Amino acid sequence: MRSFNNLIVNEWLKISKKRTFFVPYLVLILLSLLLGYIVHSVSPDIFESAYEYSSVMLLSQGIGQVITILAIIGTAGIVSKEYSQGTIKFLLIRARSRTAILASKYAVVLIYAFTVAVVGMLAVFVSGALWFGLSGGEDGIREMLTSLMYNSVSTVVYVTLAFMIGILTTSTGVTIGVTMFMLMIDKLIISREFYKYVLFPNLNLSAYEGGGAPIPGMTLTFSIVMLALYTIVFLLIGFSVFRRRDVA
Amino acid sequence: MKQGSNEHMQDSIVLQMNGVSKIIKGKSIVDKLTFDIRKGEIIGLLGPNGAGKTTTIRMMTGLIRMSEGDVIVQGHSVKSDFNKAIGHIGAIIENPEFYPYMTGLDNLKQYQRMTDHFEAGRIEEVVELVGLQEAMNKKVKAYSLGMRQRLGIAQALLNRPKLLILDEPTNGLDPAGIREMRDYMRRITEVEGISILISSHLLAEIEQICHRAIVIQNGKLVTVTAIGGEQETTTEVKLTIRVGSVESAITHLEGMEYAELLSMDSARSEVTVSLHDSRVPELVSTFSNKGVGIFRITENKQSLEEDFLKWTGGNRIA
Repeated sequence: MRSFNNLIVNEWLKISKKRTFFVPYLVLILLSLLLGYIVHSVSPDIFESAYEYSSVMLLSQGIGQVITILAIIGTAGIVSKEYSQGTIKFLLIRARSRTAILASKYAVVLIYAFTVAVVGMLAVFVSGALWFGLSGGEDGIREMLTSLMYNSVSTVVYVTLAFMIGILTTSTGVTIGVTMFMLMIDKLIISREFYKYVLFPNLNLSAYEGGGAPIPGMTLTFSIVMLALYTIVFLLIGFSVFRRRDVA
Repeated sequence: MKQGSNEHMQDSIVLQMNGVSKIIKGKSIVDKLTFDIRKGEIIGLLGPNGAGKTTTIRMMTGLIRMSEGDVIVQGHSVKSDFNKAIGHIGAIIENPEFYPYMTGLDNLKQYQRMTDHFEAGRIEEVVELVGLQEAMNKKVKAYSLGMRQRLGIAQALLNRPKLLILDEPTNGLDPAGIREMRDYMRRITEVEGISILISSHLLAEIEQICHRAIVIQNGKLVTVTAIGGEQETTTEVKLTIRVGSVESAITHLEGMEYAELLSMDSARSEVTVSLHDSRVPELVSTFSNKGVGIFRITENKQSLEEDFLKWTGGNRIA
């Protein structure tokens, strides 16, 4: 267990020692404040409190999308950079299995996505408090955290997808490109029966709030099962390719 | 007696290649390679471009899967017991690449966290061995190639390996750097008492530092040869003698049954003869007694380069 913790420490240092490490967090904070200002200046009464503002903004139609994008960018290089820098050779000739090394990378991807989400939530909340105040409305911290959770589910699925594509392509650019493209088209809903088995319509769990469904016949449980299955498949493909691949 | 020495040999084997092959799309890149590396030995891996040197080394270190055979390191199989086997190996494969935005020390700490037995002070020890104390807090992107090579050696020694594998260690280094590298290798075998496997296309390099050379071509083992030990093993010597009179030298040589005239060069007044090592004084005294006049005697030693060209058919030198 200690050796696995050490692998996680290594991976975390690899991303946190970069000079650009704080940029995504700064982007998130500035964007949240700016968005709050714009919304407030257009219609000052649209949100009754910071809680209501946050619970709307943290969904994937608002700052939530930015959180997902930043987490994808952070994930894209974690495997492919090792290949492009050539450091993969020194990494794999250690007394650690490839599975453990990749697992530590995936763990750090999740930790990183979590820190981005937490910073995003705090930034959005502070922005909401600044422009809309803390009192008023019916929404509270509960609604805010629910929104964060809905968005985090799709963030995790997307970073897992990016993680797999990073392993398959060993190219940071292609990984970001492909995953971003998927993120862009995931709002398209094709109203056909087969489409509910596709990843995209299942990603927006907040659609089930108030008894709705993305496509008639879909349920929350169905979507959760579908998302879990897709995530497991992405990981299985990623791990088996990484374990078998010759490093030439 | 003989059995005893055999057993001793078994004990002192650090790495065993057992019929290792790599087959890609039906083509053998490496074909049933078998050889041993003994304790404290510096071994050269030679071969023309595309002979399979790098593939062989990548299979030893588990970066590439073997199609057939196995590599045994200190009794542990690279195939089935990878973590234990690789724990005895330190390696630099092609150019040493580090995380450029981290300092030398941070890079070494990365690899120390991946060793099984944490040893405080080990980093300082290896850094001192390669003489990088001053550069430890500089970012690796500011390092010269020579410094990166040294940092590469330092990371390879962190886990106290029994075998150090260096793939083209002098590639891209200037003559001073190459010499430095050679000094490090000598010092490492003395201080750490470990075996080194060097793949290189610089034959003179191999000749200067290695005890044995393994020559491969087209993925097949061509020969394993001892370097520097030839004098003891060869009893027949080839001498080129510069004489006063070639004619009288030839006349006298024809009368000797122990020496054979190989060639003559009257323009340079030289004869080349082949004879048993023990008969050399006899030849010399005969020549001087008969007034042939000896000006110079040089041994006609085949350099590794000539051997190499002979073994590999002379084409496509790496």
